[in-house]
Amino acid sequence: MAEMKTLIKIKPKDYKAGDVVKIDFMAMHPMESGMRKDKDSGAIIPAHYINEVSFSFNDKLVTKMVTWESLSVNPVLTISFKVPSAGTLKVLAKDNKGQSVESTVAITPKG
Amino acid sequence: MERRSFLKSFGAVAACATLIPSIVSAADEAKKVTGPNEMSIETAISAITGGKAVTPSSKVSLSAPEIAENGAVVPIKVTVTSAMTDKEYVKAIHVFATKNNNVRCANVYLTPANGEASFGTRIKLGGTQDVLAIAEMSDGTFLSGKQNVKVTIGGCG
Repeated sequence: MAEMKTLIKIKPKDYKAGDVVKIDFMAMHPMESGMRKDKDSGAIIPAHYINEVSFSFNDKLVTKMVTWESLSVNPVLTISFKVPSAGTLKVLAKDNKGQSVESTVAITPKG
Repeated sequence: MERRSFLKSFGAVAACATLIPSIVSAADEAKKVTGPNEMSIETAISAITGGKAVTPSSKVSLSAPEIAENGAVVPIKVTVTSAMTDKEYVKAIHVFATKNNNVRCANVYLTPANGEASFGTRIKLGGTQDVLAIAEMSDGTFLSGKQNVKVTIGGCG
């Protein structure tokens, strides 16, 4: 599979240091459960899902998730985050086939 | 001669018919054992709590649609009332779909840096069932909240 595409959104867009914001992490991933069959060949499609996501801010762990195939296709994971200062938020996602993707977003509080 | 060959082939068919079910059930058994992360809800919960009691609490609010037309995408949101300070915070939020093949959806390990204990995502549900959220507090207690989601596959209901 091609490289996982990811997107990080911060809501609301404008925030100050000390505010609690919502962080949406989206990944383009098939999240195969391992239960589905190929329509043409009838063979079972092997499970392929994101099993670990970790959010860290300035290299300090904020949230770590262990996930299973019950998440929907192209999962969206939302967490809260209290903005301490400006910095970089890094999200590392791994799937059960050993593929991993790292994406970062700059945290820039206003005022 | 015709009768004899008919009997022969009939015998062969009968033998096949008795063999096939046993092969199928053996394959089913193998699938059950090696199936992807199959686990009963009780085992999954006790794996997390280590046998401790789980108390239903209004502190854990799980919001999910009461009726989901499409079981493939069911938005859920879990919020746990907590100060989220260094002394008192929510360690983890565990989300289960109680009747899915793999009941575990996500284990979210939080830190005080989150500010608020919340987690939102979209899950797949195989049918009408309870969605259960268990919050592990920093003092070692487990609180839970759940909601029933009716899944109408095909949207007719």
